[in-house]
Amino acid sequence: MTTTTRSLARARKGVGPGGASGPAGTARKQSTLSRQTGRTFAFLILPSVLLLLLINGYPLIYAGIQALHNGNLLDTGAFVGLDNFSSVLSSEPFWKAARFTLVFTLVGVFGSWLIGLALALVLRTKIPANGLFKVLLLLPWVVPIVVSSTAWNWLTATPTSPVPALFNALGLGTPLFLADPTLAAITVCLFKVWISFPFMMMMISSALASVDNTVYEASSMDGASKWQQFTQITLPLISRSTYISWILMTIFCVNDFPTIYLLTGGGPVDATTSLVVLAYRMVFQNFQTGPGVAIAFLMTMTLVIVSVVLYRQIRKSSTE
Amino acid sequence: MTIKSALSTSAFSRRGFLGVAAAAASVPLLAACGGGSASQGAGGTIKFWDMPWGPPAYSDLAKKLTESYVPTGSLGKASYQTIQWNNFYQTFSSAIASKTGPALSTGGGFQAFQFAEQGQIAYADNVISKLKQNGQYNDFLPGTIESQNTDKGYVAVPWSQGPRVVWYRKSLLDRAGVAVPTDWKSWLEAGKALKGIGVSAFGIGAGAGNVFGNQNLLSMMINNGGGLFNEDGRPDVVTDRNIEAMEFVREMVSLGLIDPGAVSYTLDNLSSQWKDKKIGMGWYAPGLPESTGDTSGDLQVASPLAGPHGDKGTVNYIGSIMMYKNTPSQEGSEAFLLWYLGQLKEFWKQDVVGLLPVQQSIVDLPEFQKNKQNVQIIKEWQSVGKPFGTKSPRLFGSLAAVDGGQALSQFAQTMLGARADAKTALTDLQKGIESVTK
Amino acid sequence: MSTVLHTHQAAPAAATGGPAKSRSAVADAGNRGRWWRFTLILAVTAVVLIPIMVTVALAFTPGANSTATGGFTLENFSTVFEKTLVGTWLQNSLITTLTTVLVSVAVAAPAGYVLSRGRGKLVSGYSLLLFVIQSLPIITSVVPLFILFAGMGLVDNLVGITIIYVGSTMSVATWMMAAYFDSIPISLEEASWIDGCSVFGSFTRVVLRNSLPGILSTAIFSFLLAWNDYLVAVVFLRSNETFTLPMGVQTFFQQNATDWGSVMAVALVMMIPPVLVFAGLNKYFSVGGIGGSLAGQ
Repeated sequence: MTTTTRSLARARKGVGPGGASGPAGTARKQSTLSRQTGRTFAFLILPSVLLLLLINGYPLIYAGIQALHNGNLLDTGAFVGLDNFSSVLSSEPFWKAARFTLVFTLVGVFGSWLIGLALALVLRTKIPANGLFKVLLLLPWVVPIVVSSTAWNWLTATPTSPVPALFNALGLGTPLFLADPTLAAITVCLFKVWISFPFMMMMISSALASVDNTVYEASSMDGASKWQQFTQITLPLISRSTYISWILMTIFCVNDFPTIYLLTGGGPVDATTSLVVLAYRMVFQNFQTGPGVAIAFLMTMTLVIVSVVLYRQIRKSSTE
Repeated sequence: MTIKSALSTSAFSRRGFLGVAAAAASVPLLAACGGGSASQGAGGTIKFWDMPWGPPAYSDLAKKLTESYVPTGSLGKASYQTIQWNNFYQTFSSAIASKTGPALSTGGGFQAFQFAEQGQIAYADNVISKLKQNGQYNDFLPGTIESQNTDKGYVAVPWSQGPRVVWYRKSLLDRAGVAVPTDWKSWLEAGKALKGIGVSAFGIGAGAGNVFGNQNLLSMMINNGGGLFNEDGRPDVVTDRNIEAMEFVREMVSLGLIDPGAVSYTLDNLSSQWKDKKIGMGWYAPGLPESTGDTSGDLQVASPLAGPHGDKGTVNYIGSIMMYKNTPSQEGSEAFLLWYLGQLKEFWKQDVVGLLPVQQSIVDLPEFQKNKQNVQIIKEWQSVGKPFGTKSPRLFGSLAAVDGGQALSQFAQTMLGARADAKTALTDLQKGIESVTK
Repeated sequence: MSTVLHTHQAAPAAATGGPAKSRSAVADAGNRGRWWRFTLILAVTAVVLIPIMVTVALAFTPGANSTATGGFTLENFSTVFEKTLVGTWLQNSLITTLTTVLVSVAVAAPAGYVLSRGRGKLVSGYSLLLFVIQSLPIITSVVPLFILFAGMGLVDNLVGITIIYVGSTMSVATWMMAAYFDSIPISLEEASWIDGCSVFGSFTRVVLRNSLPGILSTAIFSFLLAWNDYLVAVVFLRSNETFTLPMGVQTFFQQNATDWGSVMAVALVMMIPPVLVFAGLNKYFSVGGIGGSLAGQ
């Protein structure tokens, strides 16, 4: 770890190949090699910049214009400034959806992370049919959501569906998992965790793959318990990967449309309406493009703030 | 960029993982596929976009018919394209905005009105006057063509209709020992008996993507002489008749005559409840036996039920074919539309569509007369059917935002989940509709 | 969930003998722990797979108008293969998805390397920009992209959706690659620089060579995103001949009815390639990575 950190620190100062020195970006003369680094970096990142501008830049600007106008998909409409934003921010459904989005995201991110981590750790050890389990456990992520949402509906929707029937047989009444607002919210969150944990498991597995087993052997020799190994070796080693997977999963959860829309449609009575579902309904069902896109922008801004905070954490974790 | 990709590609394939070489080899294939698409019609071809209105056989037949069209003179031939229901509004809007849209299409219930207000529709007045000239106008059932009229002209020509009607399962009513209800009062009594045998008396569902929830409640309002709009076309939801109708529904909910899970039932849940004999009675579209696969004759259409004041009624959705301004030739569009209207009978002759016809000549076909339930719907329900925008004399574009929009589905869920009393729920609905129709 | 965590904490305790224990005792404990974990993972997997078993069961259940007797039939599959273009859809899906994976990784890996190693305002600014772009939901971009692509003739065309898939996977793919590169010690590159490698040379020969698990994770992410998408496809693809599998599935949804047998049959066809990919790549995940090079530092 310490070597890595020191090297990263050196790299940050612009130490290029061959150990040439001199902080980049200062008035001091740069070495040819660090200029080469700059050029190579520019060359390496160029394709990504071009694609970004081509595919994502235009829709972003287009959406920005829509958010400031009072139009529909075919007609830009009149310029209304920030009216869409203020009307959205003062509406009750927006805040209700924001609250649900928060719950959905927190459960989605940490639920899937905990399960993914536990499974990745277990699967890292030697157990029979290890490889088969790894593949089988990725299936929830593989199945098209339009199909898995139907399966979940089939398991939970009516009083005679298997899961309510099981509860009934256990003497727990007949819960209507999608009809009761609270239960529907819980079911949607569980559905999201079910879809997402394989991604977490994969991210953590691949981070763990780069961890050398001898580190554990050495610490075993020193008498460290498995729990100590977990908290003092494993977690720090995968911390950066963990932060990144949290950020990514936060985006996936906040932006997740099909999971919610196909399972509950946002109901009953908006109990499972997240911001993106609300935005979709505004644009494509109520045909109010401006407010709908404004919601999307507000979501994005919130995400950016959250991500900057998490991003700082990443920086910290790599410099500590 | 190309150099970079090439470099890393070669580095990757040397190691041979992920079958990168195979994928790279498929790139030219990909380019080849791009060129061969059928939709880049030649100039002059009339593009007709249609929704999947029935089983795959429907789309096959519609395609065959469209492609068999032989234009007169120099007018263009026609091409056929099925548009999936999923996100169809997005599909139409983006195509129209980029001038790659169709010349004619079917679509959502109020799509023609909506696109007309956005200046995209070519009005069908010429077609209507030609129908009047050749006498076909009188073949259309009363109220069907007129439903498409606006101040600026006819936005479309009707081709089908789907009134919501009351169905019942005869064996279950027999088992409960009740006769087929004729009014709301006897419905409630029959419902109690049905509940006694563990069967729902008002099958309905308002889950993800299921519009029957709000359509059925609207049918109840119209049944009681109510509706969502007043004579000036303004939202007018909190009326005595509507409150009375919704209180009746609330009573059914509180008596347990409506399934407590109904609030979350998707279309599939609802249709399997019908199929599994869990529902004794309820509103549904024409073709319930066919869509549940139970054509034994046990599922039958009731006569229109009388409300507390003796009113009868239901909501009737008219399916229409609209023409767009973006066409290679307006004359060509009109010629195709006139021809296509004459071919519609084939859908009912071959029994591939779930909707009902709007032309008397099709109703009279022996193939149509065979289906007793559909005949009864035309005979008894067509005349009491009202358009969605009733009592507004004209339909209009923002109805698209009301029908299947947030306000109505939320209303249906509130009612079925018994989350508010009828008046409060209707007041919220009024606000919701006002916000999308301003 | 809590059970899993709880037993995870308990299992190591059972497996941990003191260092003083005899070898065979440790091995015994290890063996017992092994079967314990096996049972646990078997139970978890069984529960997790219930919804998928439902799908599989429905795919083999006769439909409403079936003539099959009994509860099992291959009819749905034969219907799907005889009456639809499922083979073409599969081919289209494979072409778009594999191209997306290839291009995404080829673009994201170098960009991720820069994000991982580079420092300064430009790099972190770009990293944030990637994030902003990714955060905007795809449903707001579909219509403007359609209008843009229609002008270039990229509508109803696999090239068009492939470009969009690459664009929409790129942010996440770049971040994933950056995260992986971060776990590779820079000392490896320094060593190669000393040996006279250029920055680019050490990236391709040293860094990429050691990034297989990272590249595979990124590739799998891109694969699944492109493979399962229908929000973009439903607007961009029109003709049966250009449909991808998720669009093919959409054709079984009619106005008031859905042909679930066919949906599930196509869904099964859709699940096979990713499962094969996962199964085939599985062993690369367990490769020791670069652990060896860290030893002794």
